[in-house]
Amino acid sequence: MKILVIVRQTPDTEAKIQTNSAGNGIQTDDIKWILNPFDEFAVEEAVQIKEKSNAEVVVLTVGSDKAVDAIRTALAMGGDSGVHIKDDAFADMDTYALAKVIGAKIKALGDIDLILAGKKWIDEESSQVPLQVAEELSIPQATLASKVEVDEGSKTAKVTSVIEGGERIIELKLPALITVEQGINEPRYASLPGIMKAKKKPCEEVGKGDINGDEIGISEGELGIDGSRYKNDAIEIPTITRSLKVIDGNDVQQASSELAKLLREEAKII
Amino acid sequence: MSEILVLVDKAQDTVRNVTYEVLAAALKLKEKNGASISAVYIGDNAGSIESDLGKYGADKVYKIENPSLKDFNPSLYAHALSELVNKVGADIILGGNTLQNQDFLPRVASKTKGGLTTDAIDIDLTSSSTLQVKRYKYSGKSIATLSYHDVKPMIATIRLNAYKPVEAGAAGEAVSESIDIPADDNFKVIETNIIPKERPELTEADKIVSGGRGMANGENFKLCYDLADSVGAGAGASRAAVDSGWVPYEMQVGQTGKVVSPNLYIAVGISGSVQHYAGMGSSKVIVAINKDPDAPIFQKCDYGICGDLFDVLPALTDEIKKLG
Repeated sequence: MKILVIVRQTPDTEAKIQTNSAGNGIQTDDIKWILNPFDEFAVEEAVQIKEKSNAEVVVLTVGSDKAVDAIRTALAMGGDSGVHIKDDAFADMDTYALAKVIGAKIKALGDIDLILAGKKWIDEESSQVPLQVAEELSIPQATLASKVEVDEGSKTAKVTSVIEGGERIIELKLPALITVEQGINEPRYASLPGIMKAKKKPCEEVGKGDINGDEIGISEGELGIDGSRYKNDAIEIPTITRSLKVIDGNDVQQASSELAKLLREEAKII
Repeated sequence: MSEILVLVDKAQDTVRNVTYEVLAAALKLKEKNGASISAVYIGDNAGSIESDLGKYGADKVYKIENPSLKDFNPSLYAHALSELVNKVGADIILGGNTLQNQDFLPRVASKTKGGLTTDAIDIDLTSSSTLQVKRYKYSGKSIATLSYHDVKPMIATIRLNAYKPVEAGAAGEAVSESIDIPADDNFKVIETNIIPKERPELTEADKIVSGGRGMANGENFKLCYDLADSVGAGAGASRAAVDSGWVPYEMQVGQTGKVVSPNLYIAVGISGSVQHYAGMGSSKVIVAINKDPDAPIFQKCDYGICGDLFDVLPALTDEIKKLG
Protein backbone atom coordinates (compact mmCIF):
# COMPACT_ATOMS: atom_id res chain seq x y z
CA MET A 1 0.00 0.00 0.00
CA LYS A 2 1.18 3.49 -0.83
CA ILE A 3 0.17 6.54 1.20
CA LEU A 4 0.80 10.10 0.04
CA VAL A 5 0.73 13.02 2.46
CA ILE A 6 0.23 16.52 1.08
CA VAL A 7 2.15 18.97 3.27
CA ARG A 8 2.77 22.68 3.35
CA GLN A 9 5.59 24.82 4.68
CA THR A 10 4.25 27.74 6.72
CA PRO A 11 5.73 30.56 8.79
CA ASP A 12 6.42 29.56 12.38
CA THR A 13 3.46 30.27 14.66
CA GLU A 14 5.63 32.75 16.55
CA ALA A 15 6.51 34.66 13.38
CA LYS A 16 5.65 38.32 13.27
CA ILE A 17 3.78 38.99 10.06
CA GLN A 18 4.64 42.21 8.23
CA THR A 19 3.54 43.37 4.81
CA ASN A 20 6.02 43.62 1.93
CA SER A 21 6.75 46.89 0.13
CA ALA A 22 4.24 46.13 -2.62
CA GLY A 23 1.56 45.71 0.03
CA ASN A 24 0.23 42.48 -1.47
CA GLY A 25 2.29 39.91 0.37
CA ILE A 26 4.38 39.46 3.49
CA GLN A 27 8.05 39.98 4.29
CA THR A 28 9.57 36.52 4.23
CA ASP A 29 13.25 37.20 4.91
CA ASP A 30 13.42 36.97 8.69
CA ILE A 31 10.78 34.33 9.14
CA LYS A 32 11.44 30.85 10.44
CA TRP A 33 9.57 28.28 8.34
CA ILE A 34 8.07 25.09 9.69
CA LEU A 35 6.00 22.11 8.65
CA ASN A 36 2.37 23.27 8.95
CA PRO A 37 1.42 22.19 12.50
CA PHE A 38 -1.82 20.53 11.35
CA ASP A 39 0.13 18.48 8.77
CA GLU A 40 2.12 16.83 11.57
CA PHE A 41 -1.03 14.89 12.48
CA ALA A 42 -1.38 13.66 8.87
CA VAL A 43 2.26 12.58 8.68
CA GLU A 44 1.98 10.82 12.05
CA GLU A 45 -1.19 9.02 10.95
CA ALA A 46 0.52 7.85 7.74
CA VAL A 47 3.54 6.59 9.67
CA GLN A 48 1.31 4.76 12.17
CA ILE A 49 -0.55 3.03 9.33
CA LYS A 50 2.83 2.14 7.80
CA GLU A 51 4.00 0.63 11.07
CA LYS A 52 0.94 -1.60 11.14
CA SER A 53 0.84 -2.60 7.51
CA ASN A 54 4.13 -2.16 5.74
CA ALA A 55 2.88 0.74 3.69
CA GLU A 56 5.14 3.18 1.89
CA VAL A 57 4.77 6.87 2.76
CA VAL A 58 5.41 9.57 0.16
CA VAL A 59 5.43 13.23 1.23
CA LEU A 60 4.51 15.86 -1.35
CA THR A 61 4.76 19.63 -1.25
CA VAL A 62 4.70 22.60 -3.61
CA GLY A 63 7.04 25.44 -2.77
CA SER A 64 10.36 27.15 -3.32
CA ASP A 65 13.81 25.68 -2.50
CA LYS A 66 13.37 26.06 1.25
CA ALA A 67 10.12 24.05 1.26
CA VAL A 68 12.24 20.89 1.04
CA ASP A 69 12.77 21.35 4.79
CA ALA A 70 9.08 20.60 5.40
CA ILE A 71 9.51 17.36 3.45
CA ARG A 72 12.69 16.51 5.40
CA THR A 73 10.85 17.04 8.70
CA ALA A 74 8.14 14.63 7.56
CA LEU A 75 10.76 12.13 6.38
CA ALA A 76 12.49 12.38 9.75
CA MET A 77 9.15 11.45 11.37
CA GLY A 78 9.12 8.27 9.29
CA GLY A 79 8.14 9.12 5.71
CA ASP A 80 10.01 7.17 3.02
CA SER A 81 10.41 9.58 0.12
CA GLY A 82 9.57 13.09 -0.98
CA VAL A 83 8.14 14.83 -4.03
CA HIS A 84 9.08 18.49 -4.15
CA ILE A 85 7.21 20.42 -6.82
CA LYS A 86 9.04 23.68 -7.40
CA ASP A 87 9.12 26.06 -10.28
CA ASP A 88 9.07 29.84 -10.47
CA ALA A 89 5.98 29.46 -12.63
CA PHE A 90 4.25 27.87 -9.63
CA ALA A 91 4.80 30.75 -7.21
CA ASP A 92 1.73 32.65 -5.97
CA MET A 93 -0.80 30.26 -7.45
CA ASP A 94 -4.28 30.21 -5.97
CA THR A 95 -5.83 27.04 -4.58
CA TYR A 96 -7.44 26.06 -7.89
CA ALA A 97 -4.17 26.17 -9.81
CA LEU A 98 -2.29 24.51 -6.96
CA ALA A 99 -4.74 21.60 -6.86
CA LYS A 100 -4.35 21.16 -10.63
CA VAL A 101 -0.58 20.87 -10.34
CA ILE A 102 -0.70 18.51 -7.36
CA GLY A 103 -3.49 16.45 -8.94
CA ALA A 104 -1.54 16.05 -12.18
CA LYS A 105 1.56 14.85 -10.34
CA ILE A 106 -0.36 12.37 -8.19
CA LYS A 107 -2.05 11.02 -11.31
CA ALA A 108 1.35 10.56 -12.88
CA LEU A 109 2.57 8.69 -9.78
CA GLY A 110 -0.33 6.36 -10.45
CA ASP A 111 -0.39 3.88 -7.60
CA ILE A 112 -1.43 5.89 -4.53
CA ASP A 113 -4.02 4.14 -2.32
CA LEU A 114 -4.56 6.78 0.32
CA ILE A 115 -3.92 10.52 0.46
CA LEU A 116 -3.75 12.23 3.84
CA ALA A 117 -3.59 15.95 4.66
CA GLY A 118 -3.87 18.26 7.65
CA LYS A 119 -7.19 19.98 8.31
CA LYS A 120 -5.95 23.48 7.50
CA TRP A 121 -2.93 25.44 6.29
CA ILE A 122 -2.19 28.03 8.94
CA ASP A 123 -0.73 30.51 6.45
CA GLU A 124 -3.59 30.58 3.93
CA GLU A 125 -6.21 29.80 6.60
CA SER A 126 -7.52 27.33 4.07
CA SER A 127 -8.52 23.69 3.97
CA GLN A 128 -9.51 23.48 0.35
CA VAL A 129 -6.49 22.41 -1.69
CA PRO A 130 -6.48 18.71 -0.69
CA LEU A 131 -10.24 18.54 -1.35
CA GLN A 132 -9.83 20.10 -4.78
CA VAL A 133 -7.13 17.49 -5.42
CA ALA A 134 -9.67 14.78 -4.51
CA GLU A 135 -12.02 16.19 -7.14
CA GLU A 136 -9.23 16.34 -9.75
CA LEU A 137 -8.58 12.66 -9.08
CA SER A 138 -12.30 11.77 -8.86
CA ILE A 139 -11.80 9.97 -5.56
CA PRO A 140 -13.96 10.07 -2.41
CA GLN A 141 -13.04 12.17 0.59
CA ALA A 142 -13.61 12.42 4.32
CA THR A 143 -12.68 15.49 6.32
CA LEU A 144 -11.71 16.15 9.94
CA ALA A 145 -11.02 12.52 10.74
CA SER A 146 -10.61 11.73 14.43
CA LYS A 147 -10.01 8.05 13.66
CA VAL A 148 -8.88 6.19 10.52
CA GLU A 149 -8.92 2.41 10.09
CA VAL A 150 -7.60 1.06 6.81
CA ASP A 151 -8.61 -2.40 5.64
CA GLU A 152 -6.16 -3.46 2.96
CA GLY A 153 -8.07 -6.62 2.14
CA SER A 154 -11.31 -4.89 1.18
CA LYS A 155 -9.49 -1.73 0.05
CA THR A 156 -11.59 0.48 2.29
CA ALA A 157 -11.04 3.00 5.06
CA LYS A 158 -13.41 3.45 7.98
CA VAL A 159 -13.27 7.05 9.13
CA THR A 160 -14.77 8.83 12.12
CA SER A 161 -15.35 12.43 11.01
CA VAL A 162 -16.17 15.53 13.03
CA ILE A 163 -19.37 17.15 11.76
CA GLU A 164 -21.42 20.09 12.98
CA GLY A 165 -22.88 19.05 16.30
CA GLY A 166 -21.28 15.62 16.51
CA GLU A 167 -19.52 12.98 14.48
CA ARG A 168 -20.20 10.30 11.93
CA ILE A 169 -18.61 7.13 10.70
CA ILE A 170 -18.01 6.81 6.98
CA GLU A 171 -16.66 3.98 4.88
CA LEU A 172 -14.61 5.08 1.88
CA LYS A 173 -13.45 2.94 -0.99
CA LEU A 174 -9.74 3.38 -1.67
CA PRO A 175 -8.12 5.26 -3.23
CA ALA A 176 -9.47 8.10 -1.11
CA LEU A 177 -8.41 11.37 0.45
CA ILE A 178 -8.76 12.04 4.17
CA THR A 179 -8.01 15.23 6.08
CA VAL A 180 -7.28 14.60 9.74
CA GLU A 181 -8.42 16.51 12.80
CA GLN A 182 -5.98 17.87 15.32
CA GLY A 183 -5.60 15.42 18.19
CA ILE A 184 -6.20 12.24 16.10
CA ASN A 185 -2.78 11.16 17.38
CA GLU A 186 0.27 12.58 19.08
CA PRO A 187 2.80 13.51 16.42
CA ARG A 188 6.26 12.21 17.31
CA TYR A 189 9.26 14.48 17.45
CA ALA A 190 11.81 13.82 14.76
CA SER A 191 14.68 12.04 16.55
CA LEU A 192 18.28 12.86 15.76
CA PRO A 193 18.85 9.50 14.02
CA GLY A 194 15.58 10.14 12.18
CA ILE A 195 16.85 13.49 10.99
CA MET A 196 20.16 11.96 9.86
CA LYS A 197 18.34 9.21 7.99
CA ALA A 198 15.94 11.70 6.39
CA LYS A 199 18.84 13.42 4.66
CA LYS A 200 19.57 10.25 2.73
CA LYS A 201 15.99 9.48 1.75
CA PRO A 202 15.10 10.13 -1.90
CA CYS A 203 13.33 13.38 -2.79
CA GLU A 204 12.22 13.90 -6.36
CA GLU A 205 12.27 17.45 -7.69
CA VAL A 206 9.50 18.22 -10.11
CA GLY A 207 9.47 21.27 -12.41
CA LYS A 208 6.83 22.65 -14.73
CA GLY A 209 8.22 20.62 -17.61
CA ASP A 210 7.59 17.44 -15.66
CA ILE A 211 3.91 18.14 -15.13
CA ASN A 212 1.55 16.88 -17.78
CA GLY A 213 -1.48 19.14 -17.92
CA ASP A 214 -3.32 16.57 -20.05
CA GLU A 215 -3.57 14.39 -16.94
CA ILE A 216 -6.09 16.80 -15.49
CA GLY A 217 -7.35 18.39 -18.68
CA ILE A 218 -5.70 21.80 -18.73
CA SER A 219 -3.56 23.53 -21.31
CA GLU A 220 0.07 24.34 -20.64
CA GLY A 221 -0.80 28.03 -20.48
CA GLU A 222 -3.16 27.40 -17.61
CA LEU A 223 -0.59 25.43 -15.62
CA GLY A 224 0.66 27.77 -12.93
CA ILE A 225 -0.27 31.29 -11.98
CA ASP A 226 -2.28 31.86 -15.19
CA GLY A 227 -4.66 29.14 -14.09
CA SER A 228 -5.47 31.02 -10.90
CA ARG A 229 -9.03 32.19 -10.31
CA TYR A 230 -8.19 35.21 -8.16
CA LYS A 231 -5.29 37.33 -7.07
CA ASN A 232 -4.10 39.02 -3.92
CA ASP A 233 -4.77 42.75 -4.10
CA ALA A 234 -3.56 43.75 -0.69
CA ILE A 235 -2.60 42.46 2.68
CA GLU A 236 -2.79 44.56 5.81
CA ILE A 237 -2.03 44.10 9.47
CA PRO A 238 -5.18 44.74 11.49
CA THR A 239 -4.78 47.39 14.13
CA ILE A 240 -7.43 47.34 16.77
CA THR A 241 -7.10 49.96 19.46
CA ARG A 242 -7.94 48.49 22.84
CA SER A 243 -9.01 50.61 25.77
CA LEU A 244 -6.68 48.84 28.28
CA LYS A 245 -8.84 49.53 31.33
CA VAL A 246 -7.24 47.25 33.90
CA ILE A 247 -8.74 47.25 37.38
CA ASP A 248 -6.68 46.42 40.47
CA GLY A 249 -8.06 43.20 41.94
CA ASN A 250 -7.02 43.72 45.54
CA ASP A 251 -10.63 44.33 46.49
CA VAL A 252 -12.19 41.48 44.53
CA GLN A 253 -15.84 42.41 45.16
CA GLN A 254 -15.29 46.00 44.15
CA ALA A 255 -13.27 45.07 41.05
CA SER A 256 -15.78 42.45 39.91
CA SER A 257 -18.72 44.78 40.38
CA GLU A 258 -16.92 47.50 38.43
CA LEU A 259 -16.05 45.14 35.56
CA ALA A 260 -19.61 43.79 35.35
CA LYS A 261 -20.89 47.37 35.21
CA LEU A 262 -18.42 48.37 32.49
CA LEU A 263 -19.43 45.38 30.38
CA ARG A 264 -23.11 46.24 30.80
CA GLU A 265 -23.09 50.02 30.57
CA GLU A 266 -19.99 50.98 28.57
CA ALA A 267 -19.34 48.01 26.29
CA LYS A 268 -23.07 47.10 26.24
CA ILE A 269 -22.05 43.52 25.71
CA ILE A 270 -23.78 41.60 28.54
CA MET B 1 -29.78 38.90 -15.53
CA SER B 2 -27.02 37.60 -13.36
CA GLU B 3 -27.85 35.33 -10.49
CA ILE B 4 -26.37 34.89 -7.01
CA LEU B 5 -26.86 31.49 -5.42
CA VAL B 6 -27.04 31.28 -1.63
CA LEU B 7 -26.70 27.86 -0.01
CA VAL B 8 -29.39 26.98 2.51
CA ASP B 9 -28.21 25.48 5.78
CA LYS B 10 -31.06 23.59 7.35
CA ALA B 11 -30.99 21.71 10.63
CA GLN B 12 -33.96 19.45 11.31
CA ASP B 13 -36.96 21.57 10.35
CA THR B 14 -35.53 25.05 10.55
CA VAL B 15 -33.31 27.14 8.33
CA ARG B 16 -30.25 28.06 10.37
CA ASN B 17 -29.57 31.73 11.01
CA VAL B 18 -26.29 31.57 9.06
CA THR B 19 -28.36 31.30 5.86
CA TYR B 20 -30.00 34.66 6.58
CA GLU B 21 -26.60 36.18 7.32
CA VAL B 22 -25.35 35.03 3.92
CA LEU B 23 -28.51 36.39 2.27
CA ALA B 24 -27.61 39.75 3.84
CA ALA B 25 -24.18 39.55 2.19
CA ALA B 26 -25.87 38.70 -1.13
CA LEU B 27 -28.22 41.69 -0.73
CA LYS B 28 -25.16 43.93 -0.47
CA LEU B 29 -24.00 42.72 -3.91
CA LYS B 30 -27.51 42.92 -5.35
CA GLU B 31 -27.68 46.61 -4.47
CA LYS B 32 -24.69 47.16 -6.76
CA ASN B 33 -25.36 44.92 -9.71
CA GLY B 34 -29.10 44.25 -9.54
CA ALA B 35 -28.58 40.49 -9.59
CA SER B 36 -31.37 38.21 -8.50
CA ILE B 37 -30.80 36.12 -5.40
CA SER B 38 -31.69 32.44 -5.40
CA ALA B 39 -31.44 30.26 -2.34
CA VAL B 40 -30.45 26.65 -3.01
CA TYR B 41 -31.55 23.73 -0.89
CA ILE B 42 -29.79 20.40 -1.35
CA GLY B 43 -31.11 17.44 0.62
CA ASP B 44 -33.95 14.97 0.85
CA ASN B 45 -36.75 17.17 2.11
CA ALA B 46 -36.86 20.97 1.87
CA GLY B 47 -40.24 21.53 3.48
CA SER B 48 -41.82 25.00 3.19
CA ILE B 49 -38.71 27.06 3.62
CA GLU B 50 -39.48 29.58 0.88
CA SER B 51 -41.43 32.13 2.91
CA ASP B 52 -38.66 32.52 5.49
CA LEU B 53 -35.99 32.67 2.80
CA GLY B 54 -38.03 35.22 0.85
CA LYS B 55 -38.43 37.38 3.92
CA TYR B 56 -34.65 37.68 4.19
CA GLY B 57 -34.00 38.37 0.52
CA ALA B 58 -34.34 35.27 -1.65
CA ASP B 59 -36.14 36.05 -4.91
CA LYS B 60 -36.23 32.36 -5.75
CA VAL B 61 -35.69 29.11 -3.89
CA TYR B 62 -34.31 26.14 -5.82
CA LYS B 63 -35.10 22.84 -4.19
CA ILE B 64 -32.90 19.93 -5.17
CA GLU B 65 -34.58 17.06 -3.36
CA ASN B 66 -33.53 13.46 -3.69
CA PRO B 67 -33.57 10.52 -1.24
CA SER B 68 -29.87 9.88 -1.95
CA LEU B 69 -29.07 13.39 -0.70
CA LYS B 70 -30.39 12.61 2.78
CA ASP B 71 -26.92 12.05 4.23
CA PHE B 72 -24.34 14.64 3.30
CA ASN B 73 -21.99 13.20 0.68
CA PRO B 74 -19.47 15.76 -0.64
CA SER B 75 -19.20 14.21 -4.11
CA LEU B 76 -22.97 14.03 -4.64
CA TYR B 77 -23.66 17.47 -3.18
CA ALA B 78 -20.92 18.88 -5.42
CA HIS B 79 -22.51 17.12 -8.37
CA ALA B 80 -25.96 18.50 -7.55
CA LEU B 81 -24.79 22.08 -7.16
CA SER B 82 -22.52 21.95 -10.21
CA GLU B 83 -25.39 20.66 -12.36
CA LEU B 84 -27.57 23.52 -11.15
CA VAL B 85 -24.80 26.01 -11.97
CA ASN B 86 -24.47 24.55 -15.45
CA LYS B 87 -28.21 24.85 -15.92
CA VAL B 88 -28.84 28.37 -14.62
CA GLY B 89 -25.38 29.85 -15.27
CA ALA B 90 -24.90 31.45 -11.85
CA ASP B 91 -22.16 34.07 -11.50
CA ILE B 92 -21.70 33.97 -7.77
CA ILE B 93 -22.26 31.29 -5.10
CA LEU B 94 -22.24 32.19 -1.42
CA GLY B 95 -22.58 29.99 1.65
CA GLY B 96 -21.84 30.15 5.36
CA ASN B 97 -18.40 29.00 6.38
CA THR B 98 -19.87 25.83 7.85
CA LEU B 99 -18.03 22.52 8.02
CA GLN B 100 -20.33 21.10 5.36
CA ASN B 101 -19.74 23.95 2.92
CA GLN B 102 -16.00 23.84 3.54
CA ASP B 103 -16.20 20.14 2.79
CA PHE B 104 -17.96 20.13 -0.59
CA LEU B 105 -17.47 23.57 -2.17
CA PRO B 106 -13.81 22.87 -3.09
CA ARG B 107 -15.09 20.07 -5.30
CA VAL B 108 -17.69 22.41 -6.81
CA ALA B 109 -14.94 24.92 -7.65
CA SER B 110 -12.89 22.28 -9.41
CA LYS B 111 -15.89 20.76 -11.21
CA THR B 112 -17.17 24.09 -12.51
CA LYS B 113 -13.73 25.65 -13.09
CA GLY B 114 -14.73 28.36 -10.65
CA GLY B 115 -12.80 30.17 -7.94
CA LEU B 116 -13.32 29.60 -4.22
CA THR B 117 -12.27 31.49 -1.11
CA THR B 118 -13.43 30.61 2.38
CA ASP B 119 -14.27 32.46 5.60
CA ALA B 120 -14.76 35.95 4.15
CA ILE B 121 -15.30 38.69 6.71
CA ASP B 122 -16.56 41.05 4.02
CA ILE B 123 -17.45 40.80 0.34
CA ASP B 124 -17.93 43.37 -2.39
CA LEU B 125 -17.81 43.79 -6.16
CA THR B 126 -14.83 45.25 -8.03
CA SER B 127 -15.29 47.97 -10.65
CA SER B 128 -15.30 45.21 -13.26
CA SER B 129 -18.11 43.41 -11.39
CA THR B 130 -16.03 40.50 -10.17
CA LEU B 131 -16.18 39.38 -6.57
CA GLN B 132 -13.84 40.89 -4.01
CA VAL B 133 -13.29 39.24 -0.66
CA LYS B 134 -11.64 40.26 2.59
CA ARG B 135 -10.41 37.40 4.75
CA TYR B 136 -7.89 36.65 7.43
CA LYS B 137 -4.53 35.16 6.52
CA TYR B 138 -1.85 33.84 8.87
CA SER B 139 -4.70 33.31 11.35
CA GLY B 140 -5.72 36.68 12.78
CA LYS B 141 -2.35 38.24 12.04
CA SER B 142 -3.30 39.85 8.72
CA ILE B 143 -6.27 40.65 6.50
CA ALA B 144 -6.00 39.95 2.79
CA THR B 145 -8.12 41.49 0.03
CA LEU B 146 -8.55 39.18 -2.96
CA SER B 147 -10.27 39.86 -6.24
CA TYR B 148 -11.52 37.23 -8.64
CA HIS B 149 -10.50 37.16 -12.27
CA ASP B 150 -13.26 37.01 -14.83
CA VAL B 151 -14.32 33.45 -13.97
CA LYS B 152 -17.64 31.86 -13.24
CA PRO B 153 -18.78 30.85 -10.78
CA MET B 154 -17.11 33.00 -8.13
CA ILE B 155 -17.64 31.07 -4.90
CA ALA B 156 -17.10 32.27 -1.33
CA THR B 157 -18.03 31.19 2.17
CA ILE B 158 -18.85 33.88 4.71
CA ARG B 159 -17.66 33.84 8.31
CA LEU B 160 -20.44 33.24 10.83
CA ASN B 161 -21.64 36.44 12.56
CA ALA B 162 -19.96 38.62 9.89
CA TYR B 163 -23.31 39.89 8.53
CA LYS B 164 -26.59 40.57 10.28
CA PRO B 165 -29.77 39.27 8.66
CA VAL B 166 -31.78 41.95 6.86
CA GLU B 167 -35.51 41.72 6.22
CA ALA B 168 -35.92 42.39 2.51
CA GLY B 169 -39.35 41.00 1.71
CA ALA B 170 -38.45 39.26 -1.56
CA ALA B 171 -40.74 36.85 -3.39
CA GLY B 172 -39.14 33.56 -2.38
CA GLU B 173 -40.66 31.74 -5.34
CA ALA B 174 -40.14 27.97 -4.94
CA VAL B 175 -38.65 26.18 -7.95
CA SER B 176 -38.32 22.43 -7.88
CA GLU B 177 -35.17 21.27 -9.66
CA SER B 178 -34.89 17.65 -10.62
CA ILE B 179 -31.27 16.70 -11.01
CA ASP B 180 -30.16 13.13 -11.61
CA ILE B 181 -28.01 11.93 -8.76
CA PRO B 182 -25.70 9.06 -9.71
CA ALA B 183 -25.11 6.11 -7.38
CA ASP B 184 -21.95 6.39 -5.28
CA ASP B 185 -20.40 3.14 -4.09
CA ASN B 186 -17.25 4.86 -2.86
CA PHE B 187 -18.77 6.67 0.10
CA LYS B 188 -21.06 5.13 2.67
CA VAL B 189 -22.33 6.71 5.88
CA ILE B 190 -22.46 3.98 8.52
CA GLU B 191 -23.58 5.99 11.51
CA THR B 192 -24.24 9.60 12.54
CA ASN B 193 -24.09 10.67 16.16
CA ILE B 194 -25.31 14.07 17.20
CA ILE B 195 -23.68 14.85 20.53
CA PRO B 196 -25.67 17.38 22.56
CA LYS B 197 -23.47 20.30 23.55
CA GLU B 198 -23.83 22.14 26.82
CA ARG B 199 -22.56 25.42 25.37
CA PRO B 200 -22.43 27.19 21.99
CA GLU B 201 -19.84 26.02 19.43
CA LEU B 202 -16.76 28.24 19.61
CA THR B 203 -16.85 29.28 15.96
CA GLU B 204 -20.50 30.35 16.29
CA ALA B 205 -20.46 31.73 19.82
CA ASP B 206 -21.30 35.38 20.44
CA LYS B 207 -19.32 35.25 23.71
CA ILE B 208 -16.45 33.02 24.83
CA VAL B 209 -14.77 32.41 28.19
CA SER B 210 -11.35 30.73 27.87
CA GLY B 211 -9.04 29.40 30.55
CA GLY B 212 -5.27 29.02 30.37
CA ARG B 213 -2.28 27.82 32.34
CA GLY B 214 -3.47 29.82 35.37
CA MET B 215 -6.41 27.41 35.82
CA ALA B 216 -3.88 24.92 37.27
CA ASN B 217 -6.01 21.82 36.61
CA GLY B 218 -9.06 20.49 34.81
CA GLU B 219 -11.47 20.62 37.75
CA ASN B 220 -10.91 24.35 38.16
CA PHE B 221 -12.37 24.90 34.69
CA LYS B 222 -15.76 24.63 36.40
CA LEU B 223 -15.17 28.26 37.46
CA CYS B 224 -14.82 29.23 33.78
CA TYR B 225 -17.94 27.24 32.85
CA ASP B 226 -19.94 28.98 35.59
CA LEU B 227 -18.93 32.37 34.25
CA ALA B 228 -19.61 31.22 30.68
CA ASP B 229 -23.08 29.99 31.60
CA SER B 230 -23.91 33.26 33.35
CA VAL B 231 -23.62 35.08 30.00
CA GLY B 232 -24.50 32.20 27.63
CA ALA B 233 -20.93 31.93 26.38
CA GLY B 234 -18.96 29.13 24.76
CA ALA B 235 -15.99 27.70 26.65
CA GLY B 236 -12.46 27.75 25.24
CA ALA B 237 -8.91 27.20 26.38
CA SER B 238 -5.34 28.10 25.56
CA ARG B 239 -2.91 25.61 24.09
CA ALA B 240 -1.15 25.31 27.45
CA ALA B 241 -4.35 24.08 29.11
CA VAL B 242 -5.07 21.62 26.28
CA ASP B 243 -1.49 20.30 26.16
CA SER B 244 -1.63 19.74 29.92
CA GLY B 245 -4.61 17.46 29.33
CA TRP B 246 -6.98 19.56 31.44
CA VAL B 247 -9.57 20.01 28.68
CA PRO B 248 -10.14 18.45 25.21
CA TYR B 249 -8.41 19.87 22.14
CA GLU B 250 -11.79 20.94 20.64
CA MET B 251 -11.64 23.80 23.13
CA GLN B 252 -8.29 25.14 21.92
CA VAL B 253 -8.38 28.72 20.67
CA GLY B 254 -5.34 30.03 18.80
CA GLN B 255 -3.32 29.71 15.66
CA THR B 256 -3.11 25.93 15.98
CA GLY B 257 -6.65 25.61 17.33
CA LYS B 258 -9.84 27.45 16.48
CA VAL B 259 -9.83 30.98 15.13
CA VAL B 260 -12.74 32.88 16.68
CA SER B 261 -14.11 36.41 16.64
CA PRO B 262 -16.91 36.73 19.18
CA ASN B 263 -18.32 40.00 20.46
CA LEU B 264 -16.92 39.25 23.92
CA TYR B 265 -13.81 37.20 24.70
CA ILE B 266 -12.84 36.68 28.34
CA ALA B 267 -9.30 35.32 28.77
CA VAL B 268 -8.77 33.82 32.22
CA GLY B 269 -5.28 32.95 33.38
CA ILE B 270 -4.01 33.31 29.82
CA SER B 271 -0.81 35.27 29.34
CA GLY B 272 -1.66 36.25 25.76
CA SER B 273 0.98 34.71 23.49
CA VAL B 274 1.25 35.72 19.82
CA GLN B 275 -0.26 32.35 18.87
CA HIS B 276 -3.26 32.72 21.17
CA TYR B 277 -3.88 36.30 20.06
CA ALA B 278 -3.78 35.17 16.42
CA GLY B 279 -6.83 33.05 17.20
CA MET B 280 -8.94 35.63 19.04
CA GLY B 281 -7.42 39.07 18.37
CA SER B 282 -10.31 40.11 16.14
CA SER B 283 -12.84 39.74 18.99
CA LYS B 284 -14.84 42.92 19.52
CA VAL B 285 -14.27 43.25 23.26
CA ILE B 286 -11.44 41.43 25.05
CA VAL B 287 -11.44 41.01 28.83
CA ALA B 288 -8.39 39.67 30.71
CA ILE B 289 -8.24 38.19 34.19
CA ASN B 290 -4.71 37.48 35.33
CA LYS B 291 -2.68 37.88 38.50
CA ASP B 292 0.50 38.85 36.65
CA PRO B 293 0.45 42.62 35.96
CA ASP B 294 3.13 42.10 33.30
CA ALA B 295 1.14 39.51 31.33
CA PRO B 296 1.13 40.59 27.64
CA ILE B 297 -2.67 40.16 27.53
CA PHE B 298 -3.02 43.37 29.59
CA GLN B 299 -1.52 45.26 26.65
CA LYS B 300 -4.10 43.81 24.25
CA CYS B 301 -7.38 43.95 26.17
CA ASP B 302 -10.25 46.37 26.60
CA TYR B 303 -10.96 45.54 30.22
CA GLY B 304 -9.19 43.52 32.82
CA ILE B 305 -8.82 42.65 36.45
CA CYS B 306 -5.33 42.13 37.77
CA GLY B 307 -5.99 39.62 40.53
CA ASP B 308 -6.25 35.98 41.55
CA LEU B 309 -8.64 34.25 39.16
CA PHE B 310 -9.81 31.87 41.89
CA ASP B 311 -11.25 34.86 43.76
CA VAL B 312 -12.25 36.92 40.74
CA LEU B 313 -14.19 34.26 38.78
CA PRO B 314 -16.81 33.45 41.44
CA ALA B 315 -17.17 37.13 42.37
CA LEU B 316 -17.56 38.22 38.74
CA THR B 317 -20.06 35.42 38.03
CA ASP B 318 -22.10 36.62 41.02
CA GLU B 319 -21.97 40.26 39.96
CA ILE B 320 -23.11 39.39 36.44
CA LYS B 321 -25.99 37.31 37.79
CA LYS B 322 -26.96 40.25 40.01
CA LEU B 323 -27.25 42.50 36.95
CA GLY B 324 -29.79 39.98 35.63
